[in-house]
Amino acid sequence: MQRRVVPMLSASGLVVGYGANRSVLDRVDLSVPDSGVVAVLGSNGAGKSTLLRTLSGTLSFHGGALHDGQVKLDDRPIQRLSAASIARAGVVQVPEGRKIFAKMTVEENLRVGAVCTPPGRRASARERVMELFPRLAERLEQRAGLLSGGEQQMLAMGRAVMASPRVLLLDEPSLGLAPKLIEQIGDIVTEISAQGTPVVLVEQNAAMALRVAATAVVLEVGRVAMSGEAEQLKDSDGIHDLYLGGHSHPAAQDVDGEVEGEATDLPRRRLARWTA
Amino acid sequence: MALALPLYVSEVWLRVFEYAMVGAVAAIGLTLLSGHCGQLSLGTPFFMLVGGTAYAALAADAEAGSDLVGIGLPPVIAIVGAVVVSSLAGLAFAPVAGRVSGIYLAVATLSLVFLGLYLGQRFTEFTGGAATGRPAPPFTIFGFSLTTREPELTVLGVPFGAQERMWYLFLILVIGGIFLALGAVRSRPGRSWRAVRDNPASAAAMGVNVARARATAFAVSAGYAGLAGVMMVLWFGLLKADENEFQGSWSIAAAISLLAIVIIGGLGSVWGAVLGAAFVFGLPLALRLLVPSVPLLASITEGSGGFTPSVITAFAYGSLIVLVVIFEPGGLAAIGRRITARFGR
Repeated sequence: MQRRVVPMLSASGLVVGYGANRSVLDRVDLSVPDSGVVAVLGSNGAGKSTLLRTLSGTLSFHGGALHDGQVKLDDRPIQRLSAASIARAGVVQVPEGRKIFAKMTVEENLRVGAVCTPPGRRASARERVMELFPRLAERLEQRAGLLSGGEQQMLAMGRAVMASPRVLLLDEPSLGLAPKLIEQIGDIVTEISAQGTPVVLVEQNAAMALRVAATAVVLEVGRVAMSGEAEQLKDSDGIHDLYLGGHSHPAAQDVDGEVEGEATDLPRRRLARWTA
Repeated sequence: MALALPLYVSEVWLRVFEYAMVGAVAAIGLTLLSGHCGQLSLGTPFFMLVGGTAYAALAADAEAGSDLVGIGLPPVIAIVGAVVVSSLAGLAFAPVAGRVSGIYLAVATLSLVFLGLYLGQRFTEFTGGAATGRPAPPFTIFGFSLTTREPELTVLGVPFGAQERMWYLFLILVIGGIFLALGAVRSRPGRSWRAVRDNPASAAAMGVNVARARATAFAVSAGYAGLAGVMMVLWFGLLKADENEFQGSWSIAAAISLLAIVIIGGLGSVWGAVLGAAFVFGLPLALRLLVPSVPLLASITEGSGGFTPSVITAFAYGSLIVLVVIFEPGGLAAIGRRITARFGR
């Protein structure tokens, strides 16, 4: 694993909760290099969305709070900044369920995306969005709420790209979309990252995520269960059984050998339980 | 057409239109706040009172023997000052207006109406109190009064008295208000407001400062309300604090009429607010004028049922709100758009 000494965006020891539930995330670390896609996998309630909300500072909108830990952008702590300031610093999130501005037109949605883009960069950001999402270019005057699910997802992503983000956070872009569209979204994520914007991709659809990601972490009830290169994780049985729809082979129980990286003791035990 | 109207229409009818314009200005501010930023406010009459009081205090000359506050500024500056003061009052409410949203803000702002009632009766040196009030300083520009008949003027044989002149003053203020509002709606502030309305979390994730956007919208709407308050004072020729919280220019009833205007006109539509104001503010006065000449109306109002023009209007706009909400949530503005789409272009 090639890791830069100073990742562009990093989180360490995050402890996050909602109200009385104080450990939705329990000492989670994440490191986002300055290129490529980092996938965050895990089942429902594992804390994937919470992790993204923590990074983007939007926790408070969901009644959540960061109790411990640090988020750093280029070595500068940002966890105490407001969501708007974090977005201005370049960490831009596409929330789960798209959350486009339904009553505004596609054009207006994109313009809101460019609220904190310096005027000089807006034209090029717009051009980039039009190239990435030609479908949006055809529907600029349409009300966003009337777009199809796939188009809404593209709009949500396009809106974020309008902000010329330094890091793009994507929360479940495949949610509720047809397989063909999921594939298309995956290609677009690859393209965005190839253009030089690192992406943090939260997904339940592990097949798509691991196809486009360079590295991945697996969250399991608020902790990092596994992390490593996407290729290796893809081959691990735990991932395979849980997320890729594979069946467990009695012969392939050498879980420990397959997964490299920073898996801790606790998750390994769980992993063994899954594959048994 | 609007420019030539005073040549054809009598003073009493001009007053009806002028009163509707007062409502229009206040409602434009409210429709920006509610329709674009998604914030419901019942506090508009409070800011109207603040604006009206600020104008009276800033423009009046200090008189010996009177304990009324008068700074003696030129009226133009006093109007600007009144708008600034009421916007600042709106901004002072930002800790609430920025954090609280929707119906909760409506309840929170209702308290402002009570605050206005108290302040209006307590600080009589500014408001003139609820008993007598204080005269509205006439609006003069370069010695030419736009709210009284000094100096005398006759245009095409029509004497231009106070109402004819006030018509033009109000027309300028309303048109200015409309274009400023349309500008805000089409540019960045409007987009930020709508983003906050549609989804605060997403707006914040895009870099929109949610609390600031809400506070700004609130301050802008307070500024509009302040201007409407100045117009109200000029229209009555008098500034007077309300006697109770249920009736009067700065009361809960006024707050609800303004809300009715905005809903009937179509939430968020600037032109809708103007149309709605013509209906809600204009109709009671118009009915009162029509009663003597329309037998049907006269028979209704003369009966013992207590159907005064204002009661009839209350029924009319009450039922119109219900109809709008059920059949055309976009209000008069949406009906207008449909008509222009069918016949225009």
